Amino acid sequence: MTENEPNIEKPVDPEESAVKAREKLREVINALGSYHMHSCVRCGLCGETCHIYLTDPVPENLPGVKASKIISHFRRYHTFLGRVAPILVGARNLTPEALDELVEVVYGRCTMCGRCGINCSVGADIGSIMRMGRMILAASGRVPKNLQAVVDNQLNTGNQMAITQEELKSTAEWISEDLQHEMGNKEVRIPVDEHGKRVVYLVNPREVKFFPLSLSAAAGVFYAAGESWTMSSRFYDVTNYGLFSGDNVAAEEITRQAIEETLRLGAEEMILSECGHGFRAFRWEGPNWMHKKYSIPVRSMLDVMLEYIESGRIKVDRAKNKDRVTLHDPCNLVRYGGVSEPQRKILHKVCGDFVEMVPNREQNFCCGGGGGMLSMSEYGERRVLSGKVKADQIHATSAKIVATPCHNCADQLLELNKHYKLGIEVMAVVELVYNALVL
Amino acid sequence: MLVGDKEIQFDNDGFMMEPSLWNEDIALAIAVEEGIGEMTEDHWRVAKFIRDYWKENDLAPAVRLICQELGLGVRQIYKLYTSGPARGACRVAGLPKPDGCV
Repeated sequence: MTENEPNIEKPVDPEESAVKAREKLREVINALGSYHMHSCVRCGLCGETCHIYLTDPVPENLPGVKASKIISHFRRYHTFLGRVAPILVGARNLTPEALDELVEVVYGRCTMCGRCGINCSVGADIGSIMRMGRMILAASGRVPKNLQAVVDNQLNTGNQMAITQEELKSTAEWISEDLQHEMGNKEVRIPVDEHGKRVVYLVNPREVKFFPLSLSAAAGVFYAAGESWTMSSRFYDVTNYGLFSGDNVAAEEITRQAIEETLRLGAEEMILSECGHGFRAFRWEGPNWMHKKYSIPVRSMLDVMLEYIESGRIKVDRAKNKDRVTLHDPCNLVRYGGVSEPQRKILHKVCGDFVEMVPNREQNFCCGGGGGMLSMSEYGERRVLSGKVKADQIHATSAKIVATPCHNCADQLLELNKHYKLGIEVMAVVELVYNALVL
Repeated sequence: MLVGDKEIQFDNDGFMMEPSLWNEDIALAIAVEEGIGEMTEDHWRVAKFIRDYWKENDLAPAVRLICQELGLGVRQIYKLYTSGPARGACRVAGLPKPDGCV
């Protein structure tokens, strides 16, 4: 796949697809969007903030330059000078060719991590401009195939990996049996489809299909806390690839199916497993997509675990995690989601040797796997290259374990471990809490 | 990548572009890239189980099935394939990249 040839379904009617893109452009520009589009002063500071630019410093990777591709179309149709003298102000027509070109810019050169935006000299939210670009491309039918496949799985099967309900139930039973053996207790288990429990727990399907230790650990922690909880076998997916593809209709549907299922099961609260973009989508974007407030609270498992520890509902011993642990901050959980302290407070309580990587919290660098990048193989090389910033950060801590409250980041970190020979183990925070449990 | 006298194409994630061309020599070549020192009997059992399951179902098997069918613990799978069942074992078994957060 060359860079000029996007890996998308070719539009049947290119002109019609461009009309849809222009309509979407008009729709997505609100007052705030318009402010962001107008505000770039071309200072170039954003380069230093972007992991993709830092590892491959060509002009095309400068966040301001990426955003300017979208802004040039905005200018063409929504500013006076752009309409009357487009050439003078660098305004460009939104043509099928321009749309094809934009695919690589917004999906392939940006993870929408938002680090450039919070460091922008004039406060332009470049990450959001990039998502507007994705919305325009989604409206014109130009979502990269491998990203769209994940959205389609979510809409058609209820989860991003197309796991059957039977498989979910069998896996829950299998994990329960192993956990009973490990904890020496017949009562610990993963309840499925049980009505009237206080909590419905959502997980990343990756936990069900390939990496069940975090789900197993969560069941152990819930048991230790005496929590009343269940999973649904139909809609348990904490992820929402509509956020990445730029398709708000799909994003709304994915949100709705989980919220309605949680209510159907009669739960009082929806708890989200460790997932960066899933937290942003369910906690913050969801009510906007659905145009209504949820009737139940939605929280991260991190909040819940901290509550268990601080209230004494579970007892932990930090001596049980001896190796040095560092923490990777997922962009969508921390920078966009506002959850930065619970994971640190937890790790201080459950790890004997916890060190921060630098920079951290809202200034942390993207691992390189965000924005759906892991599912688009066509950008795989750039993804691994851009992760060098993160690999260097990790290396400097001499940590043996990298904890990350995001399964998507976890996969990228495993890739970085392989490529940059970091010699680390990657764990979810819940696994470290489970290890530290005193029963 | 040249395996024997054949040029084998991989995508940018290192998964085979033409999964039907897979053979044991290719598996060994990918295993080297994965940093697997030696493909032991257990490595082969996992890879071949995944391969057979995929041929029948056009889908990678869940780790539960791999463990239960082969009598392995889940931690053993991560020891055999440190990149995990998807990016490690499925890749060695010559599958296309599974969908989603992997």
